Amino acid sequence: MISLNELTKTYGRGADSVTVLDRLNFEVGAGEIFAVTGPSGAGKSTLAQCINLLERPTSGSVVVNGEDLSSLPEKRLRAARRRIGTVFQSASLLSRRTASENIALPLEYLGVTPGEIRARVGELIDRVGLGPKAHSYPFQLSGGQAQRVGIARALALRPAILLADEATSGLDPDTTSSVVELLKQLRTDLDLTVVFITHEMDTVRQIADSVARLERGRIVETGALVDLLTDHGSPLGRALQPRLRFAAADDDAATWYVTYDSADVPGDWIQRVSVDLAVPVHLLGASVETVHGINTGSATLGIAAASDDAVRAVLAKYGLSGTPDASRETGVGGAPVSPVRSGAVPALEGAA
Amino acid sequence: MSAVVGGSIYVPRADVPVAELPALLLPAYGETVVMVGIVMAIVLVVGTPLGVLLHNAAPGGLFERPALHAVLGWIISVGRSLPFLILMASIVPFTRFLTGTNIGIAAAVVPMSLAGIAFFTRIVENALRSVPPSIVRVARASGGSNLQIMRSAQFGEAVPAVLGGLTIQVIAMIEYSAIAGTIGAGGIGYVAVTYGYQRFDNTVMLATILILVATVAFVQVAGDRLVRWVTPQKRLQRA
Ligand SMILES: Nc1ncnc2c1ncn2[C@@H]1O[C@H](COP(=O)(O)OP(=O)(O)OP(=O)(O)O)[C@@H](O)[C@H]1O
Ligand SMILES: [Mg+2]
Repeated sequence: MISLNELTKTYGRGADSVTVLDRLNFEVGAGEIFAVTGPSGAGKSTLAQCINLLERPTSGSVVVNGEDLSSLPEKRLRAARRRIGTVFQSASLLSRRTASENIALPLEYLGVTPGEIRARVGELIDRVGLGPKAHSYPFQLSGGQAQRVGIARALALRPAILLADEATSGLDPDTTSSVVELLKQLRTDLDLTVVFITHEMDTVRQIADSVARLERGRIVETGALVDLLTDHGSPLGRALQPRLRFAAADDDAATWYVTYDSADVPGDWIQRVSVDLAVPVHLLGASVETVHGINTGSATLGIAAASDDAVRAVLAKYGLSGTPDASRETGVGGAPVSPVRSGAVPALEGAA
Repeated sequence: MSAVVGGSIYVPRADVPVAELPALLLPAYGETVVMVGIVMAIVLVVGTPLGVLLHNAAPGGLFERPALHAVLGWIISVGRSLPFLILMASIVPFTRFLTGTNIGIAAAVVPMSLAGIAFFTRIVENALRSVPPSIVRVARASGGSNLQIMRSAQFGEAVPAVLGGLTIQVIAMIEYSAIAGTIGAGGIGYVAVTYGYQRFDNTVMLATILILVATVAFVQVAGDRLVRWVTPQKRLQRA
């Protein structure tokens, strides 16, 4: 278990000082995966470095399993660091050491005997599924394999907390999924508390139990992933929706951005909305997926005529929430969505 | 027949016959090797920790000491900016204080070591600077002490770069030894100056040039091999 209390980090002094983290509070329970997202420069990496004690907080505390680590004297800080395993972006492996030798690093630093190191490293290599690559050098590993080595190294000293800063950034989607699955498995098996920092919303949806959004050093929103995904009022919830490139609506039709807003949206809702409004509804783009057993997602529609209020009312009837003019969405976060014109978009002529 | 006796050489009047070259050049070559060897040993022992210290005392290092870094950096820069001949001449009192003499191998080793240490400290500092900061963060997060981090993460990663620099350094030291030869330090440089330059003995001049070119080429090839051997990617991809 880890909890942050009023964690503040200020760089510099006096007039030049910048507060990078501003009174952060959150708590992550054992076995929970807590994702932290936010735009570049929000302070995510600084937060990671305050949690694994590479940087001292200016004020506030980091409490791990009931002990306040942030106030420890310098000498004991090094011991405290060993209770937190860190997985870094692109693994950051020592290039002149094999996979096994990289995993052994924290054990060597601790002064574990060579025999014990061999046994523990063997265990860890198997745990992350890298048996055949044990004696490969980093240049011989794929990005995903290197990241597995990084994870094994982070687990070498049996930490209670696993901290990942952009651990899957730069990996392709399939490799990201396999690394995410490994982390989830480890969380379950080892009852790890995981703080997962990333700017990739797709990865957050795959891995997180809870999510916080960090902006300019403050947590602007936080909650359970499932709650956020079905809360239409939540900017973070909407940012978490799968991003899509959508076609432009016809000139006489308005573009609507629609999100799943409840657990029981009917499967044929587009048909039904079209019938209820008595106008054609064009599907311009959509992405729907199941997260923790609940359908969630969003669609961009082109709807001709009808008043905004009427459209809203009909959408609400089916557990959806809509916003006219999807271009507004680009301000919410993540990469801007640019409309692409495409002739091959099916029109759902429900009213014809 | 010429011979090297206590650093002074009996100089014959005509060009040295080819048959007598080995007797003249081999002992001198041995002196050069000894001189460069001693200097390199001192340079490695002093320059390596100094380079690591300089790198880590800098802002962003493991133990930032801006004042120490500034002073150390300044001293090294002064040492590096003096032409070797000038450095050698300007520290004669210091050399005499240390070795009791200002000619011969012992006297040459002092200025060569000073110049060499300044040179190598920068090489080590530069090599460490090329190690990504993320590697050092990993080592710190893995619970390493500063000493452990400097050894396994910083220096361990920088070994190929340090060896590459070391090759350049050895070649520079051979050159310095030739310059030191002019103040009677012995060695191949001394022979080149006294025979080739002062007596216009073209045979000796040519022979010393060939020997120096061959030596430098050998050091370079050996250095490149070594760098290849300590870089897993280069070592394993050759096959
Ligand atoms: N040592 C430092 N001194 C001064 N300012 C710093 C320092 N480290 C980070 N900052 C500032 O803190 C802010 C947050 O940086 P941080 O690296 O934590 O962002 P981030 O959220 O991880 O961004 P990214 O997604 O690009 O990695 C930035 O504005 C950065 O300039
Ligand atoms: Mg970052």
